[in-house]
Amino acid sequence: MSISKGANRAIKWPAKTNHVPKEVFEMESLWEKELEAIFYGEEWHPIVHRAEIPNPGDYKAAQLGEINIFAVHGDDGEIRVFQNTCTHRGTSLVTESSGNKKEFECPYHRWLFSLEGDLVGCPNSRDFSPDFDKKDFGLLALRVEEFYGLYFATMSDKTPPLKEYFGEKFYEPLQRLLGGDGRLNLIGYQKVTYDCNWKAYCDNDGYHGALLHKAFAMLNWQGGKGTQIVTKNGHLSFDSELTIPDHVDALEDGSILDFKGTETSNGSIVLMSFPITVYTKHLDMLNIRYSFPKGPKGVEVHYAYFSHEDDDDEMVKHRIRQSSNLLGPCGLISMEDASVFSRIDKGNKTQGNAIFQKGVKDEYAIPLEVGQTDETGNLARWERYRELMGFERSES
Amino acid sequence: MRGISAANRELIEDLNSEYISALNDFNMDNWLACFTQQGQYILTSEENIRRGLPIAFMLDDCYARLKDRVKQVMEIQGDSTEHYQMRHFTQLISATESETGVIQTNFNFSIYYTPRDTNQTETLCVGKYEDTIAIKDGEARFQKRVAIVDTNVLPRYVAYPV
Repeated sequence: MSISKGANRAIKWPAKTNHVPKEVFEMESLWEKELEAIFYGEEWHPIVHRAEIPNPGDYKAAQLGEINIFAVHGDDGEIRVFQNTCTHRGTSLVTESSGNKKEFECPYHRWLFSLEGDLVGCPNSRDFSPDFDKKDFGLLALRVEEFYGLYFATMSDKTPPLKEYFGEKFYEPLQRLLGGDGRLNLIGYQKVTYDCNWKAYCDNDGYHGALLHKAFAMLNWQGGKGTQIVTKNGHLSFDSELTIPDHVDALEDGSILDFKGTETSNGSIVLMSFPITVYTKHLDMLNIRYSFPKGPKGVEVHYAYFSHEDDDDEMVKHRIRQSSNLLGPCGLISMEDASVFSRIDKGNKTQGNAIFQKGVKDEYAIPLEVGQTDETGNLARWERYRELMGFERSES
Repeated sequence: MRGISAANRELIEDLNSEYISALNDFNMDNWLACFTQQGQYILTSEENIRRGLPIAFMLDDCYARLKDRVKQVMEIQGDSTEHYQMRHFTQLISATESETGVIQTNFNFSIYYTPRDTNQTETLCVGKYEDTIAIKDGEARFQKRVAIVDTNVLPRYVAYPV
């Protein structure tokens, strides 16, 4: 099913750039168009870091839009991303979220694929169609680019090269967030489903309304100085110096807030890549939030946490304690974000617009450099969304 | 390792009942009282355990962290968290006692939750507790309770220990 023009016309986009129609979160018919225009369009989506599949044969399943995919570490050391389907009759090849295999065998007719995606065996092929050639039946590979061990995939041949797509203002802090050199070790996952439309998630997970965070106030930890940089194509980069008190009176065990730091640290980094992914480095927590919309309702978020290969045992232990207790769906400082997602979703089932205010200087412009705690960092993403979806902006 | 006496079995069943009552009744002081002064509480996923990954959803690896968990629930989360009623169902699966008197137990659990806005009941998570229990002066207390959820993808944010 593709979206009807009627559904498109039903949304009248406000003239003011800081106004977003609430129905855009709630109109289920938009999802098919979002898949086509955004998730299967000219965007890069992070799929896996090498640290998650460090050995040949390691694989990780994921989704891109509604397409099931998996990333696999080949015998040649390369990491590739394939659609999760046998090229014969379409059976899915990988049924677990991760694992290790020597090859991928389809249980249906025993077609066998190498870790590099080549079809290496298919019983009874002498009875196949006259032009059948194994070379034509390798796994369906997605276009992939790597950045310091993090592999991005895109469905389009036209997507600009990764660095060009992100721009230096985004990829430079991403490099620092990936430990500077990408030599990371996986220390674990926290996975959760949030009860909101995917756009409500990405509108609020990257941007942190400081007023929401009672925890910040109790910890005497009020964010700090820094900048928020927005790219024209909707990526967002917060880079800030955290002001951390020497002693935290609010907690019995203040050590979970220690900042042991490394030469690649610069306080706090929060990145958001269009359309949906958040990456953070707070204190000593290195975190990528792989996010999968479950259609128009709900978004599944996989928080992946990392240590650095050069960490000593004490540092790894510290990262584990800090990451487990501060972030994610139970975290001291991030649960408040989690709780607000579903409340926003409920609130969007009302009439009118969601309105951004803090930092708005011109209600008809799209700001690209905004204050660290301004809401306006979201506006470029909404503008990109509006353009890709083909909604016309009303005249002022 | 050997099986445990009927008397000790009763003590650990009582401890588990105190524990789940504390959470179902939203009484975090009673929850804390279920642990020894060296107590630890960990909430993690079956996937992390299976893959040897140490990250947890909650990692209270010392008594000070347990006290901070109480503070987080009672004071810090405050009105930004929507309260939900929990109901725990548990089942003792195994209990063994070491020569030093430390008891290891396993309980299965299933936990339902009912938020006050929808008033509909759903499954929060299903899994097992792996416990280390000390018995002293006729009372059992957790030295360590590890809650491992089969529900590797939680259905919502989890505001309270399980």
